[in-house]
Amino acid sequence: MTTVRTTTPAPPPRLPVRDKAAALDRGWGGVSPMLTRLAAERATGILVRERGTLHLADGQVVHAESPSAPGLDTLLTPHGGDPAPGALELCHLTALYDAAYFTLAPSSTPGRFRYGSAVGLDGPLALGAVRPVPVAALERETLRRRDLLHRIWPDPTTDEAPLTRPDRVGAPPCPARRRAVLARVDGVRTALDIARELGRPAFHTLVDVRRLAAAGVVSPRPPTPAEAPPPPPQPLLETEVVDPHITLLKRLRDALEAL
Amino acid sequence: MANTETSLKEALASIEGATGIALVDYTSGMALGTLGGSKSFDLGVAAAGNTDVVRAKMRTMEHLGLKGQLEDILITLTDQYHLIRLITGRGGNGLFLYLVLDAKRSNLAMARHQLKKIEEDLEV
Repeated sequence: MTTVRTTTPAPPPRLPVRDKAAALDRGWGGVSPMLTRLAAERATGILVRERGTLHLADGQVVHAESPSAPGLDTLLTPHGGDPAPGALELCHLTALYDAAYFTLAPSSTPGRFRYGSAVGLDGPLALGAVRPVPVAALERETLRRRDLLHRIWPDPTTDEAPLTRPDRVGAPPCPARRRAVLARVDGVRTALDIARELGRPAFHTLVDVRRLAAAGVVSPRPPTPAEAPPPPPQPLLETEVVDPHITLLKRLRDALEAL
Repeated sequence: MANTETSLKEALASIEGATGIALVDYTSGMALGTLGGSKSFDLGVAAAGNTDVVRAKMRTMEHLGLKGQLEDILITLTDQYHLIRLITGRGGNGLFLYLVLDAKRSNLAMARHQLKKIEEDLEV
């Protein structure tokens, strides 16, 4: 048998795949491929995701907002009416990382980016000079924070549920800052409610609450009989009917993202 | 009155033997500002790790029922000193300064005194 040697045509270009090795090298990756791309192209505009928004200027993050995190004004309340410039700067940075943590949480819908200007100078930025945060630093910190919460107590239920103290006696001594959180656990307030009342970042309150949960002092409130069973889902509106193509595309996207 | 960057710069420039400094939030473990350090000494990693040191000490103090405030923590290595100074300003609860010193070039008592001064000037 003779081997037939054919001139092999040039192989088709390789499909782009996410470089996991490179992602490991730089210590981050996979938080939001879209955000990574926007950083690379030094984009300016607003990234809207399911749980919040990031404002980009020249590919760097200058502002973040999320309904899950208290705003800059709330964080400034413990500093009184006339915060020192250092306090303002740190509160701004803290608020940005806090809101970004929730904005970059895994989402079920793709993000959208609106090119254009980030927040106007009459907006929150007017309050103080903002230190732009590189996307890589923000993604790395977000992943570190996820990991930190998981290591403290792996059950995320306390992050959003109303919190309760099953056993009021026998609480171990804890530092003053965490005691302030514990004192506000009343079966109604959530971690976010407590964060707002104390003028603290939401993430920091999640850390305190998970430490309290790990110590067995705080737990998510079980649903009251009135709440359970959950109400039957509303019939889908005509516009929300799931198109099989959309389902397929979503599955494809998820599979590709999992590569 | 000083902002973060100015304070960190002043610390690194004025404290003899200082090779790195970080302002750290000990609940999240994030460094809100760093200066100095090197490729082989990542201040961000040091900051996150030393939050555990601060937290362990605070927990022990609670267990012992000590009412005093934690001012600073000194860690000595064979060739370095690490100085942790808790910040006590108005809204500054929950932050500490972390200073790395070259043991051969530094005066520990002086460094501690200077860091205290910088903490007082840092209006956070």
